[in-house]
Amino acid sequence: MSGLAWAFSRDLTLAWRHPGEAMLTLAFFVLVASLFPLGIGADPQLLARVGPGVIWVCALLAAFLGLPSLFASDHADGTLEQMALSADPIAAWVSGKIAAHWLSTGLPLTLLSPLLGLQYGLPADALVTLGAALLLGTPVLSLLGAACAALTLGARGGGMLLALLALPLFVPVLVFGAGAAEATAAGLSASPHLSLLGAGLLVAAVSVPFAVGSAIRIALD
Amino acid sequence: MEGHGFYLAMSYGMAAVAIVVELVALALGRARAWKQVEEERSLEAQD
Amino acid sequence: MNFFYFSSPSTFFRLAGRLAPAFFILAAVLAAAGLYVGLVQAPTDAVQGEVYRVIFIHVPAAWMSMFIYFVMACYGAMALTFNSRLSAMMARALAPTGAMFTFVALWTGAFWGRPTWGTYWVWDARITSELVLLFLYLGFIALSNAFEEPRRGDRAASLLSIIGIVNLPIIYFSVQWWNTLHQGSSIKLTGSSMHVTMLTAMLLMTFAAWMYAIAASLVRVRSVILERERRARWVRDLGRT
Repeated sequence: MSGLAWAFSRDLTLAWRHPGEAMLTLAFFVLVASLFPLGIGADPQLLARVGPGVIWVCALLAAFLGLPSLFASDHADGTLEQMALSADPIAAWVSGKIAAHWLSTGLPLTLLSPLLGLQYGLPADALVTLGAALLLGTPVLSLLGAACAALTLGARGGGMLLALLALPLFVPVLVFGAGAAEATAAGLSASPHLSLLGAGLLVAAVSVPFAVGSAIRIALD
Repeated sequence: MEGHGFYLAMSYGMAAVAIVVELVALALGRARAWKQVEEERSLEAQD
Repeated sequence: MNFFYFSSPSTFFRLAGRLAPAFFILAAVLAAAGLYVGLVQAPTDAVQGEVYRVIFIHVPAAWMSMFIYFVMACYGAMALTFNSRLSAMMARALAPTGAMFTFVALWTGAFWGRPTWGTYWVWDARITSELVLLFLYLGFIALSNAFEEPRRGDRAASLLSIIGIVNLPIIYFSVQWWNTLHQGSSIKLTGSSMHVTMLTAMLLMTFAAWMYAIAASLVRVRSVILERERRARWVRDLGRT
């Protein structure tokens, strides 16, 4: 467990010292979400209809932005190798890194999403569901993305390859996440969507760190 | 065929094209592998 | 017979060389029979007319696209647990054929959908999952070729195939869920019960596709083995066959 806490506080400190990257992710999120009305027209009904889906796709892309650098610098300067040699299981400190990554990208996205939802004219209850869905869904994105980032360590064509691997795996999160807010907007209960997202988060949180661990071991061989 | 010939032709045609493309790719891959083996052999013959 | 006898690349190379032509011939014979039964003998469908005959490539291709991914993931799991090089090479050899069948399934589905449903593409659960499957194949192929060190690509891609096979049912379920929520145009194949000759043709074509997939991946795995082992003594002594 000490490995988890150590990696978590270290990555969080690093993110705190260089807030630029998290800021860029947020700026990208807002910018892309603002481009959609320009592209599809500013009809309020249309915007309220597509809002949850658009915000989710933007969150997906923004969450993806920080992935290539998740393990890359630790891999380049040998930290990853040191950590793999330590007594702590790889899955533990990997979980710490992923949690720190989510706190510095996923959580800000979640906190910012109601503002974007307002721009799209979503009703208040849909805003709450959207936030809740992002709160449950973005950690899953960080987990799955971390597995793909570890697989592509040192690969040619890193960023594009990572997109090809990660985005198809994000499909279920997108479906349940965007579906939750849409269900609320349509006057239905969002709890099935949110329960499924929560179940997915639990399963991913206990299983994906091990996959990331084996991927890192493969990368270090 | 009441106008469905086009769709049948496109389906069967593309399936045939896909298989032919794969077979050509297989032959090319095989030739490339053998070429690498030959290169390796000629390198060793020089030693 | 020793189970591990054929797990050495040199013996498997020779075995694959002998088996591949046999599987190609088998595939050709089965395909010829299937096409004859399907295009000549099978009667015109009462509801769909002639265009239903796309089924004889569409369904085998769709089945093979999923089956090959499953087999590929099994080889991937074997490659990681037993650290066997040959399993990883087999997984690598299967992927392009699987991607080809996935593409054919999507393409023929579109050209079947246009006359029967009136549209080339619907965001139906099966079609959408098949599209995601195509991307999973492409990701596998790209990852396995993305490293200077081929063994690294083998192992990374093997792990990816396992992650993919775990995710495929979840993806299918999510898309199905999404599809029922969005109430896409209700599309079902109704009113057409399968004639016996239709079923025969479809099974023949499925076996043909299966044999073809084995033959193609055997030829491909031979190329992979040659490239990997080109410095090995047994390759140097190999006569060009």
